Amino acid sequence: MVETAARELGVSPAELRRKNFIREFPYQTPVIMAYDAGDYETSLEAAMKEADYAGFEKRREKAKKQGKLRGIGMSCYIEACGIAPSAAVGSLGAGVGLWESAEVRVNAVGTIEVLTGSHSHGQGHETTFSQIVADRFGVPIDSVSIVHGDTDKVQMGMGTYGSRSGAVGMSAVVKALDKVEAKAKKIAAHLMEADEGDIVIENGELKVAGTDKSVPWFQLALAAYTAHNLPDGMEPGLKEGAFYDPTNFTFPAGCYICEVEVDPDTGETEIVQFVAADDFGNIINPMIVEGQVHGGIAQGIGQALLEGAHYDPASGQLLTASYMDYTMPRADDLPSFKVSTSNTPCPGNPLGIKGCGEAGAIGSPPAVINAITNAIGNNDLAMPATAQKVWSALKAATKH
Amino acid sequence: MYSTNYHRASSVADAVKLLKKADDGKFVSGGMTLIPAMKTRLAAPSDLVDLRHVPELKGVKISGKTVTIGAATTHAEVAANAKLASVCPAICNLAAHIGDPHVRHMGTIGGSVANNDPAADYPAALLALGATIVTNKREIAADKFFTGLFETALKDDEVITAVTFTAPAKCGYAKFPNPASRYAMTGVFVAKAKDGVRVAVTGAGEDGVFRSKEIEAALSKKFDASALEGVSVSAGTLMSDIHANAEYRANLVVVMAKRAVASANG
Repeated sequence: MVETAARELGVSPAELRRKNFIREFPYQTPVIMAYDAGDYETSLEAAMKEADYAGFEKRREKAKKQGKLRGIGMSCYIEACGIAPSAAVGSLGAGVGLWESAEVRVNAVGTIEVLTGSHSHGQGHETTFSQIVADRFGVPIDSVSIVHGDTDKVQMGMGTYGSRSGAVGMSAVVKALDKVEAKAKKIAAHLMEADEGDIVIENGELKVAGTDKSVPWFQLALAAYTAHNLPDGMEPGLKEGAFYDPTNFTFPAGCYICEVEVDPDTGETEIVQFVAADDFGNIINPMIVEGQVHGGIAQGIGQALLEGAHYDPASGQLLTASYMDYTMPRADDLPSFKVSTSNTPCPGNPLGIKGCGEAGAIGSPPAVINAITNAIGNNDLAMPATAQKVWSALKAATKH
Repeated sequence: MYSTNYHRASSVADAVKLLKKADDGKFVSGGMTLIPAMKTRLAAPSDLVDLRHVPELKGVKISGKTVTIGAATTHAEVAANAKLASVCPAICNLAAHIGDPHVRHMGTIGGSVANNDPAADYPAALLALGATIVTNKREIAADKFFTGLFETALKDDEVITAVTFTAPAKCGYAKFPNPASRYAMTGVFVAKAKDGVRVAVTGAGEDGVFRSKEIEAALSKKFDASALEGVSVSAGTLMSDIHANAEYRANLVVVMAKRAVASANG
């Protein structure tokens, strides 16, 4: 819509977007969502710079000489994810609450198990969840294990979807870690005869600030379980659970730019450049976030160019029931992606993180379609923009 | 997949004997179509007679311009045959782009030709090259061999032993792959030989592979892509499916023909 408006007004699509960016936060939208933080212009600038937006016309001319139609398209997205405040989804008619749960079990030898209701099926929770635990107590990352998906072991949880495992699932882990840390500090203070407020955790040790007194993490864990010398009235053990119900959605945002070359003879589209500049707030593991963005973009390009479900109108039979007919994106359908991130921390959760799982799939389809319609001079193009559809749209555009 | 009896034939005569003994037997070569069809239970032969290990069906022979490719020669073997590439590079290039590496190392020219899939690559080549399909009973001209969708002139107990053709002065192949299956959504093979220009189209025709008279006429005047400017082919007998309608395929026929000619002219 914004792209079409820009084209019809004869203004730069980038400038029209820039003019309309929200700059004051929090920003209450007319439909429930209240944007908590964002800096949309930074993403736009980063993407335009990376894509050499200014140099596009030269590249278009060069492509024209080789018989190709080159187009550039942009999309600026804001996503509401990290679902979601239970009361808010209740008001929308949901039958569930969208909190998440975590249990942190420190064993007597100091190893740590985290039981999370947020299941990992390739999102890398084992890595990122372990990182926040290892960072908190200064213990080796391989002493942390993440338990998920086993309903015989794990407490009730809500699961992985809606880009919520980081923002909601990890926040529940953080809450449980807070409780573990508070109890550990109480025990440490008692053992070292110090004030609880003076205990700091550094490099796998609980120290009394400003002194050389310290207790190694594993020794503290053992002390919690031997229970020979605990503060009065304290229960033995070191295991805490928490439920986290978010106060708001998180609002990742970004700017995606796609550049394509269309073969006018066949309508084939080749993506020659793809840039993604996202703001996911604080990032726990950049490589995993990058992987999530890559997967999302691949899925979005599949939607934009390739994937279509067809049914036989007479019988209702699914005609695209196998990969002989249903076009999944494959490696050779995709370009190399140029991805970057900026950071306006999310004020709504303890880690300041926003969801990143779906962003790639949200930002990419409009960028791809805007690029193709820009190349062929016809905005009337439905997804998936197969070679035949692009060829037909191009023919329709040149008839006028 | 239902259970089936597997027989490895040692000679063509042995293969025919094994097939005749079977209740409802089928010859199998690379099995790149038959085995998936059996897995989905679209086919359920009682016996499979494997032709891939029959020595007399294997190998590529070249004598002057005469090329003979044994029926059990895999696509990978055709693609990598340097001697063949020196007399007819287009056929090597075609074989190099069939399916994926797994298919190319299992699938054979005889199997592909006998199956006559309407989107297979080899039928276009053989028709355009005016090839002869040699069987254990007779020799059949390509013009008479491909009779319809998955239909050929072969009798039930007839085994393709080889295909043979005279390498033309120039030939080339170009295909537009189906985005999902990567079979030819339209593939065009052009050949310029002593007796004229022949152009065959696969993946596009309602009845399978066919010769395009419009393109042959244009290229006979001048064997160059420029001769096809403004030429159009009728969409009337072309296939329409979820991937491409007949009108789009008609366009692809011309575009692929241009590319095939360009490749033939090097």
